[in-house]
Amino acid sequence: MPSQPTSPAIPVAAPNHAARTLGQHFPTEVCAAYERFLTTKVPADADLVVLAIMLDHLPDKKLRPAGTPADALGLVNDLGFDSVAITEMVFFLEDLFQVRITNEEILRVKTVGDLRSFVRQKLTASVDNSVPRA
Amino acid sequence: MSRSALVTGLGFITSIGNDRAAVTRHLRELKPGLERVEFLHNPSLPTKVAGTVKGFSVDSPSWRDWRYPPDYDLPRETLRGVSAHGLYALCAVEQALADAGLKPADLRDGATGLYCASAGSAFMLHHHLAHMHAVRGERGNPMGVVASIAGTLNFNLAAHYGIRGAVGGFVAACASSSHALGCALDDIRLGRQARMLVVGAEEVNAETILPFAAMRALSTNPDPLTASRPFDRQRDGFVGAGGAVCLILEDADTARRRGAPIYAEFAGWGQAADGFNVAVSHPEGAGLAEAIRRALGDAGVTPADIDYVNAHATSTPAGDRSEALALRAVFSAAGARPPVSSTKGLTGHPLSMSGVMEAAFCSLAIRDGFIPGNANLTAPDEACADLNLPVATRDASPGCVLNNSSGFGGSNVCHVLRAAKV
Repeated sequence: MPSQPTSPAIPVAAPNHAARTLGQHFPTEVCAAYERFLTTKVPADADLVVLAIMLDHLPDKKLRPAGTPADALGLVNDLGFDSVAITEMVFFLEDLFQVRITNEEILRVKTVGDLRSFVRQKLTASVDNSVPRA
Repeated sequence: MSRSALVTGLGFITSIGNDRAAVTRHLRELKPGLERVEFLHNPSLPTKVAGTVKGFSVDSPSWRDWRYPPDYDLPRETLRGVSAHGLYALCAVEQALADAGLKPADLRDGATGLYCASAGSAFMLHHHLAHMHAVRGERGNPMGVVASIAGTLNFNLAAHYGIRGAVGGFVAACASSSHALGCALDDIRLGRQARMLVVGAEEVNAETILPFAAMRALSTNPDPLTASRPFDRQRDGFVGAGGAVCLILEDADTARRRGAPIYAEFAGWGQAADGFNVAVSHPEGAGLAEAIRRALGDAGVTPADIDYVNAHATSTPAGDRSEALALRAVFSAAGARPPVSSTKGLTGHPLSMSGVMEAAFCSLAIRDGFIPGNANLTAPDEACADLNLPVATRDASPGCVLNNSSGFGGSNVCHVLRAAKV
């Protein structure tokens, strides 16, 4: 009996367009923090980047909090995120950090604090993976 | 039908200008909007000219990278769901609303509808499908569908402006926005809507324009000043173009009650297909001639009443010939010789948006008193014998105007516009 053809490996994520977007449209300190994370691979170094990406994806800029957003702020209730904006943000984080996030995981992220700790946890789990640059 | 419909607002993002004043000036002065282009960074391609949109930079699939005139304040939640021609359309609608003296809140009571026409964004669709293949279907941009498929204009504009009346899209290639405008007129005549926004838009990129080269439909003339030359013996194909046009049509009572600016009355329309060939027009223009007769009949006018014809003529050898024969069959046979011109000699051919764009040009001609000439016409095709093809723009006030459109599959749609009664 002939053997079944084997499928090629599924890529982890899309080509890293997010890194290019970060470099072109985000403040210098955010880009520097991303570069630092690529070098150190310390998840805490990515925190500033995660917050900047979250603020960038706010659908209504009038709801942008002054200063660093508090962990207790709800993405939907306080910051006005809709499901599309959350999905866009998650895909951006996936591309940038080359991690995979499932729908079930997305649904568990309700607050700014949830988002920060969730990404940190994902990066810890994937710390052995190399993050390709744009 | 007791109700009549008036044109009360216009908005333009076109190769010949991004506002009404510039468009009017360039129509009067016969200043073309064509430029040299190099699609796919390939200097070997024979297609070297397009009707480009100036003041916009939309080469990227990401809205973050786009640059557009600062006059338009467009929110992120709208931009994330549109493609480049959706951006053009938003800008054209903003202009038309301001022109008509309308505010977005005026559109939300269910009495306003929206009909749109575009082929969708082949560029954006290709981008999203390539991404889908790259990750073997495991994920995709959540707005990829609504930003790219045919219908993207009506999806996005209806949501952005909160329109609650009739909303839909028309896909009939180069006659699409003419269908949209005709059906909008019917909705007003039938009392279903008091106001209709009609929008046509297309992109100027390799994905939208270059496939027509495979049909040998595009001009290979590299000179932007002469490449588009409808009805001329030297014509060798159309010049692709893009942009967006919005035309606002209102029930006459509604428009007059609120003191709206009035360009023209949209008096009637007609359509008839060739039933002949998927891509080539009927050699005698039979379907178009019938569409003209139906439009004239619907408006209650005769060939002798028409003071100007804005022809569809795109500068292709076969299409222009068919239209010339159709015009002769209707007008010459009736002893009428209205001036005929194709403004595509200036604009190039913006595909789905050409019908509403040229209806808007006709509205300007009626209100502002001019008849555009035929740019680049030096020696008319012999098929044009006894047609009146002015080369220069005339200062004249056409009282009644015919606007022709034809699309793939032999769709032919014609509009009659006339000066509104005071």
